[in-house]
Amino acid sequence: MKLYYFSEMPHHEYPDEEGDKYPSLRLAFPNKFFDPGKAAENYQRYFAEYELADQVGFDGLMINEHHSTPSCVDVGVNMTAAVLGRTTKRAKILILGNILPIEDNPVRMAEQLAMADLISNGRVLSGFVRGVGVEQWWANSNPVHNRERFEECHDLILKCWTEPGPFRWEGRHYHFRHVNPWCLPLQKPHPPIWIPGTASPETAIWAGQRGYTYVPFLVPFEIARELFEFYRQGAAEAGRTATPDNFGFLICAVTADTKAKAVEAGRHFVWRMGPTLRGPIDWFQPVGMRSRAGKQFALKARPRSLSTMSYEELLASNLIIAGTADEVADKFALVHRELGVGHLLLEAQESRMDHETTARSIELMGAKVIPLTSKL
Amino acid sequence: MNIREETITVGGVDVHTWIGGQGDPLLVLHGAGGNRGFTRWMRAVAERYTVWAPTHPGFGRSGDAEWMDGIDDLARFHLWFMDAAGLRRPHVLGHSIGGWTAAEMAAMSPGSLDRLVLVAPVGLKPETGEILDVFFYSPQQLRDMTVHDPKTIPEWDELYGKPPTPAELEIAERNREMTARLTWKPYMHNPRLPRFLPRVTNPSLIIWGREDHIVPVACAEQYRRLLPNATLHVFDKCGHLPPIEQPDAFARLVADFLGGAGR
Repeated sequence: MKLYYFSEMPHHEYPDEEGDKYPSLRLAFPNKFFDPGKAAENYQRYFAEYELADQVGFDGLMINEHHSTPSCVDVGVNMTAAVLGRTTKRAKILILGNILPIEDNPVRMAEQLAMADLISNGRVLSGFVRGVGVEQWWANSNPVHNRERFEECHDLILKCWTEPGPFRWEGRHYHFRHVNPWCLPLQKPHPPIWIPGTASPETAIWAGQRGYTYVPFLVPFEIARELFEFYRQGAAEAGRTATPDNFGFLICAVTADTKAKAVEAGRHFVWRMGPTLRGPIDWFQPVGMRSRAGKQFALKARPRSLSTMSYEELLASNLIIAGTADEVADKFALVHRELGVGHLLLEAQESRMDHETTARSIELMGAKVIPLTSKL
Repeated sequence: MNIREETITVGGVDVHTWIGGQGDPLLVLHGAGGNRGFTRWMRAVAERYTVWAPTHPGFGRSGDAEWMDGIDDLARFHLWFMDAAGLRRPHVLGHSIGGWTAAEMAAMSPGSLDRLVLVAPVGLKPETGEILDVFFYSPQQLRDMTVHDPKTIPEWDELYGKPPTPAELEIAERNREMTARLTWKPYMHNPRLPRFLPRVTNPSLIIWGREDHIVPVACAEQYRRLLPNATLHVFDKCGHLPPIEQPDAFARLVADFLGGAGR
């Protein structure tokens, strides 16, 4: 099983009581609380942590993108990939991912990803996501078209990568008369494609039909298994058989020299489960964004929202894993046994978890955990 | 009164339609909240006019039209509807997005319509203030913002008194989705509409509530200025739903205007 290091690049640099005054930290919390000086320092340390993760043996470095929120100030995931392409040497760069429905120019997206793949010498894993509703608001993109645009944007990017130009694209949402990108990926036929999921059966089936790597985020094991079944259904339709390499899972994890220190550090993950997900339902899930099937599954997938779970409950349900290196390795083995995934993505830094704690966790994972999990 | 429901097929879409009354035809185009059928004001107006109240595609019990991208598509569709229903030069009354639709229809084909009643229509970018982003609020929050004072509304209990059934919730969600499909961007307005309206010489009545928190009353003056033959009536102590909030005065105003000279 491969391990991936991930930080959302949070900007938790303001008094919490200020954030509490607004209906949500997303969209509504005024950006006068954004501190450019702190942000500049943080980017340096976040990149240093990714570089350390590369050095100690993580298989991949996961990055993601959000907008208008202090929970994630990685606002340009392809920029991040380009930087990591130069400053890291061996780990895959897992972009999970580009938010396709809000993209107005898939050709530019195809070019940027190709460039990141070239700069990194063919290390890009290209994740495509539908995004949370907040991004629809940020981009003022009609949520009713979310899935249609996701699929069409994907189709055009793939065509850019796999069919010689020039060609014309006249679709439902995208229109280009002269497509001929002079930047193509190093990996052939194209960088591997990854798709995350939290609730939509359609997405799992769609990924299965195409043989992409599918990664449920922070859902109970039984829900992940059900989503994997939808994936297998899609794979079977296309005459494929799913392998562990097709499946990943994302959890939060930290280790430290003592259990007490690790458990203390793990508390930082509660911020991403609670305060950063607080807000009106219409902001996170605007009208028309989810199908009825998706909505029904979402109710089942999250009988309780993450924001209502205590730290102890999050630990007990293995959505957060915090312990000594041996304990963490045991838990990772449990995830592997329970889900049969080939990729385990670790959200391994959050909130105000400091550099020292984060770096020590990365070092211990490299020294004591990765040697064990790599054998699974 | 003879009120009936019909399904009229237009361009491959089944359109659920309320029909009733007597006299010249009046086409009534509903707002984003959906087709409420023959409410009190409509029954009063139907004493003198035959009301045709179709449910927009994608709303209520009408069929889907996922190909529609904007209010201009809906306007074109309702011009087809008039043909399919055999309405010759009807008066047209539209509320909110229905008012915008009526304005677009008049811009497309002014000779096909008689008199125009625009009730708190969206469609123009306000010169001052902003049209409320209705998708940013929950339906519960919106209800409170939509009317001035529920206590003064005679049909409040009838229309909003009972908790919605699952089927009604499903329709409300569907209405909201179709509204998003039609109005998301540019939000609730057509930047070119100010160019079109001066061509619409039909006698027009613009009606607004002074306490409209959804569409600024400033837009009323813009419509009055742009339409060459328009008068404006603003109801005091009234929000975004004049036909529901002040049904009797509203019905009188509309019937008197439609009965004016010039057909």
